[in-house]
Amino acid sequence: MGNKISLTIDGKKIEASSGQTILEIAKENGIHIPTLCYYPNTKPAGACRVCVVEIGTAGKLEASCCTPVSPGMVVQTNTEKVMNARRMVAELLWSSGNHNCLQCEKNGDCELQDLIYELGIEKPRFEIDLPGYEIEDTNSMIQRDLNKCILCGRCIRVCNEIQVHEVLDFSMRGSHTKVSPAFDADYIDSECVFCGACVDACPVGALTFKQARFKGRPWEMKKVRTTCPYCGVGCQMDLNVSDGKVVKVTTNMDYGKPNHGMLCSKGRFGMNFIDNSDRLKTPLIRMDGELKAASWEEAYGYIAEKFASIKEKDGPDSIAGLSSARCTNEENYLFQKFMRAVIGTNNIDHCARL
Amino acid sequence: MNEETEERVSELANLYPSRKSALMPALEIAQRKNNNFLSNEDIKEVAKIVGVPNSRAFGVTTYYTMYNTKPVGKYHLQVDTNIPGFLSGAYEIVEHLKKKLGIEVGGTTGDGLFTLSSVEDLGSCGTCPVVQVNDTYYENLTIEKVDELVESLKSGKMPEPDTFSNFGTECNILLKNRGISDATDITVYKKGGGYEALKKTFKMQPSEIVDMVKGSMIRGRGGAGFPAGVKWGFLPKDNSRPVYLICNADEGEPGTFKDRQIMQYDPHLMIEGIAISAYAIGAEKAFIYIRGEFRWIADILENAIRQAKKDGQLNHVDIVVHRGAGSYVCGEETALIESIEGKRGNPRVKPPFPANVGLYGSPTIVNNVETLSCVPFIVEKGVQEFKKIGTEGNFGPKLYGVSGHVNKPGVYEYPLGTSLKVILETAGGVKGNLKAVIVGGLSVPILKADEIGDLKMDYDSCAKAGTMLGSGGIMVINDTMSIPELALRTINFYAHECCGQCVPGREGSKTIKVLLGKLTSGEGTIENIDTILDTCDTIKGLTLCPTGDAFAMPIEAMVAKFRGEFEDLVKRG
Amino acid sequence: MTNSIEEIEFTDAILAIGTNTTENHPVIGSGVKRAVRQHGAKLIVIDPRKIGLVDYADIWLRPKPGTNVAVLNGLMNSIIDERLYAKEYVANRTEGFETMKETVAKYTPDHVEDITGVPADDLRIAARIYAEANSASILYAMGITQHSHGTDAVKSCANLSMLCGNVGVEGGGVNPLRGQNNVQGACDMGALPNVLPAYQPIANDDARTKFEKSWGVSLPAKPGLTIMEIMNAAHDGDLKGLYIMGENPMVSDPDLTHVEASLKNLDILVVQDIFLNETGQLADVVLPSACFAEKNGTFSNTERRVQRIRKAVDAPGEAKADWQIISELATKMNYAMSYSSAKEIMDEINGLAPSYAGITYERIEEEGIQWPCPSTDHPGTRYLHKGKFSRGLGLFSAIDYRPSDELPDNEYPFILTTGRVLYHFHTATMTRRSEGLNERYPESLAEINSRDAEKLKIKEGDFITVTSRRGSLKVKASVVDTPPEGTIFMNFHFSEAAVNLLTNPALDPIGKIPEYKVCAVKIEAA
Repeated sequence: MGNKISLTIDGKKIEASSGQTILEIAKENGIHIPTLCYYPNTKPAGACRVCVVEIGTAGKLEASCCTPVSPGMVVQTNTEKVMNARRMVAELLWSSGNHNCLQCEKNGDCELQDLIYELGIEKPRFEIDLPGYEIEDTNSMIQRDLNKCILCGRCIRVCNEIQVHEVLDFSMRGSHTKVSPAFDADYIDSECVFCGACVDACPVGALTFKQARFKGRPWEMKKVRTTCPYCGVGCQMDLNVSDGKVVKVTTNMDYGKPNHGMLCSKGRFGMNFIDNSDRLKTPLIRMDGELKAASWEEAYGYIAEKFASIKEKDGPDSIAGLSSARCTNEENYLFQKFMRAVIGTNNIDHCARL
Repeated sequence: MNEETEERVSELANLYPSRKSALMPALEIAQRKNNNFLSNEDIKEVAKIVGVPNSRAFGVTTYYTMYNTKPVGKYHLQVDTNIPGFLSGAYEIVEHLKKKLGIEVGGTTGDGLFTLSSVEDLGSCGTCPVVQVNDTYYENLTIEKVDELVESLKSGKMPEPDTFSNFGTECNILLKNRGISDATDITVYKKGGGYEALKKTFKMQPSEIVDMVKGSMIRGRGGAGFPAGVKWGFLPKDNSRPVYLICNADEGEPGTFKDRQIMQYDPHLMIEGIAISAYAIGAEKAFIYIRGEFRWIADILENAIRQAKKDGQLNHVDIVVHRGAGSYVCGEETALIESIEGKRGNPRVKPPFPANVGLYGSPTIVNNVETLSCVPFIVEKGVQEFKKIGTEGNFGPKLYGVSGHVNKPGVYEYPLGTSLKVILETAGGVKGNLKAVIVGGLSVPILKADEIGDLKMDYDSCAKAGTMLGSGGIMVINDTMSIPELALRTINFYAHECCGQCVPGREGSKTIKVLLGKLTSGEGTIENIDTILDTCDTIKGLTLCPTGDAFAMPIEAMVAKFRGEFEDLVKRG
Repeated sequence: MTNSIEEIEFTDAILAIGTNTTENHPVIGSGVKRAVRQHGAKLIVIDPRKIGLVDYADIWLRPKPGTNVAVLNGLMNSIIDERLYAKEYVANRTEGFETMKETVAKYTPDHVEDITGVPADDLRIAARIYAEANSASILYAMGITQHSHGTDAVKSCANLSMLCGNVGVEGGGVNPLRGQNNVQGACDMGALPNVLPAYQPIANDDARTKFEKSWGVSLPAKPGLTIMEIMNAAHDGDLKGLYIMGENPMVSDPDLTHVEASLKNLDILVVQDIFLNETGQLADVVLPSACFAEKNGTFSNTERRVQRIRKAVDAPGEAKADWQIISELATKMNYAMSYSSAKEIMDEINGLAPSYAGITYERIEEEGIQWPCPSTDHPGTRYLHKGKFSRGLGLFSAIDYRPSDELPDNEYPFILTTGRVLYHFHTATMTRRSEGLNERYPESLAEINSRDAEKLKIKEGDFITVTSRRGSLKVKASVVDTPPEGTIFMNFHFSEAAVNLLTNPALDPIGKIPEYKVCAVKIEAA
């Protein structure tokens, strides 16, 4: 970022750094410019034209997401010309797809819906022309409904520029343009690694998490920020809880380090174990060779007695504990404290090496 | 694919600073090897050799129309039905072929011999109707000639094409060698004083050449008319990156077939222009981006480059011919750059402009064939001589392509500012009653017959008349043509060619196409007419690249100026 | 990691050795790819398998499995020979250079080619890329550590990094990528036989006294047994009781036959887990615990960043958080632990573990902090050894190459190497219960090179029998070119094809890590 420059947006004098875009500086100053194809941390595409603003007195329209500020620039974000353009873009998008919100997972969390509402459009002036794509339903993780796709390219950019999986691209052209893996394959038959970043990036209901389908509306979903339990990267993510169950995992770029809103397939789709029916629900004690349900009291009593007698008879070093690289710091701390302070041995290890 | 192909691709890749640029040439090679068809396996192989993801290779393959992702017949008959073809009977030929071969457009005969396609402008506007059979153009066709052609193909023989075309020159600069046989040969070219300008160039400083081009005030002949010297001046001063020069030979604007006159008949003129310009701007690598359909012309160019190299003319610059593969939008300079980089021909957002961040992120100048071909004259004869031609602010010679309803369609070289009437007279005069003229390629607003008056064909006069000189592709329309039909065919072209990136371009062109379709089939309403006008008005200046204007302006003009014809359709319906 | 994850994206060169980053640490893998694609970083990949990163690499060295130390010595030999090393850094900030230099002198590129199969010229090219970069990061994972000479390879990485002045600089470092969410934390918290939390040696009187005072007990000074020693002691009858929390040695440990015998030999085996896994099935008492989504706490990631986990849903049935179970059991055993929250435990850790002193729940609410963080006004530490090594001068170690414990012979002609795949994790108790992941990778596959497959007449999807000196199993073959000729690759996620029936329990003498990456097997069509 370079020198300080000043410009005017909607009559307001504003300081910006050269190299910033109009959209960036407007955001910083609380000036609202609607967007669709804009997605943080990716190259601005300037494709949807929703964020156009009027520059100078000649009335030139430029996409604010990819137009850098320049000294003395006069920007207007809501002239009649700008609003006309936005309205037409919104109507063109509305009429080009199946934007029916009734059973859409994104209802209430849809950027196209927000835009139409913001612009106060009753109905599009153009006839609705459904593309007629079949809904892709061939895997259990991601549902693709290209009838809702607005071709903003956010999924493609996140796949190529951020995750660098390079699975998605545009194919065909003109109004036949579509987003697809190579050879227009379904995700499951493609090189897709199911990181789910494309779903997080989708502003509309074209890409949704299939297992969360009909499991809760966006406003009913409680998002609990946590750390992924798989590898050592420690990705930050949101468990989306509805009706006491984790129904999907989403991310948030604002969480920053270490993953900046990215996940892999395990963090994204490896959460079914949480409410799996095989989960242990009560303590078990082996009786007559078989593990049988017991109360906590019984279990604690059994262990305490056994450990005490071994300790007495064979010494504390006849007992060992294996702690866990899967458990929390607090639990590991407590476990080693237990072995050292309660049992009285340093026989404690975990599977760091495996 | 075998090792030999892989080797050839690698050889090609070495021509480019980035291996990925070999994607398009490699796809072409693979397609040729596989009976003019690219299977998924072929695409995968190519992607691997070139080092791009499969998704990207597939995206590129399906972007360009010349890659066939479905098998085609041994002879792929591609009829140009764009406006000039439309005006000269192309659809009659399509209908005839459908009947004769017993297939629909897009179909292949049962014996696998013929596939019939209707394609967009082939750059043969003066020699329409034209059918491209595989790589070969068959021009000046009639129903009888089509029959002969098909019969010959059935017997397994590609007949010799008829290469006749009209031309004329008053300036004797750009077409001076047009009538000389063997002018493609360097010795012939040199005999006529060729490469003298280059020799002179080497005795001068690059900055002196830049100053001459600036001084000549030559305006870009591709269509925008932006002064070439000013464009060169945008190159960054302290720059450590390589500089590239690209000669835009994509010539895809319907009505335009001028650049091919230079490339096909006087390739060294353009090469000399490139050589001088590259020296001036400090480019050690130059590209000629030629539309893929002009395959034989690309061969002529490559041959000429080889000769020039051997003759020691190109020691300072390496010229690579890069073939397009069927995309109108690639005529736009940033789309063209993307295409050379081995990508879909999607225009880039500006800024940054190519002069600063262009090909491979380096400073890049893109000039049209005709512009660069003027440079040897400017250098050799001097700025003053150049400025003697044309009118104030519109200097130099210009190639005007005349097509449609005239008696001698062809390319005619006149000074800028020559009266349209004079040019039309030279082109044999109008056939029938003049109804309208499109003076600068399909993307400029149409002029009604009564608007023409004594229109001077230069940038400023055309602008004053509410249209644009554009590429100088003049399409003449007589009163047998329905303007709503013309508008529909026009928007079909743009909707087909639109890259699909931005919403107003993609959905706007489709929506107007649907509305015009309704109107022409008698199902439209008056409201539809207003919606078209209103939509066109909003689209202007709104799209990511100039293509939005390129269809919004002509459609708006056709509908506004001939509104009665559109309203008649509503009433009749 | 000495350095941070985000530094990888902006460094000049990356040397990835023994890490299949795109599958095992996919988010870091993407960072490496961005470094290459968008920021012009050079990438050196050293791996016997043609892993995903190879497609992004400037150069790929493909050593025979088990020859990492020779490759690393070869790189150093070449760097020293071409005088490309950081002379000033070596002179001012390190010691032991001359001895190390003498040792690596034997490892000329040609000699290394003989040992490893890596072409001498490729080795030289890689050496130049690494040495000429302003800052270069070494990434490694189990591919170099799970060997009987794992510690040697880790030390060799440190040697190489110091040789080029890359330790203690932004974008440099020696960066192990941890395979599990909280291996780092488990070590930090003293879940090790020889150290207390924050690596305070148990044998150190001052350290022990500090903990004795806080905990109100006297502590044994003698280091305890490691995991392998624990199994052996149980096998021999010296160990009677074992308490396992959140581990599944019945799938993850080498030589499972031995593990099973050991566990069965115990007087009491207590297993605390979220599922009744293979180990739990041998237990006398099983305690149901809450999973990560059902409790509060912290994990420490591979870059030492301590981050929160938060309770999102209730645990099933009577299951409880592990910390609660431990507290209650301790109390039952007459040592009162009365924590009411995980935060209270962290408060105690803050007081006892100096590197965690400033890492409080309040401070890591928004973003985790990287230890060392000695006080609550300390921002945490992006990269270690800045300006000065923790021990003063960086110490070069003179390391010779030693072959793997078990090499192929006529009877067992193939090398078996093991690892993870993208869609599963460790013993797969969690991932195999996820529909989508199973859809993508439903069964175990043994990757075999297409030329080997051709010789053995094995086709894609055929079942094969893989036999080592320790056991035998049947598995489906996947014919690919990922492993080199003569090597097969298997994952250890599937208990029905438990690859650790085959692996060699030979341990690294210092790290006590088993040699999972190399053992000899034979392959037959099943």
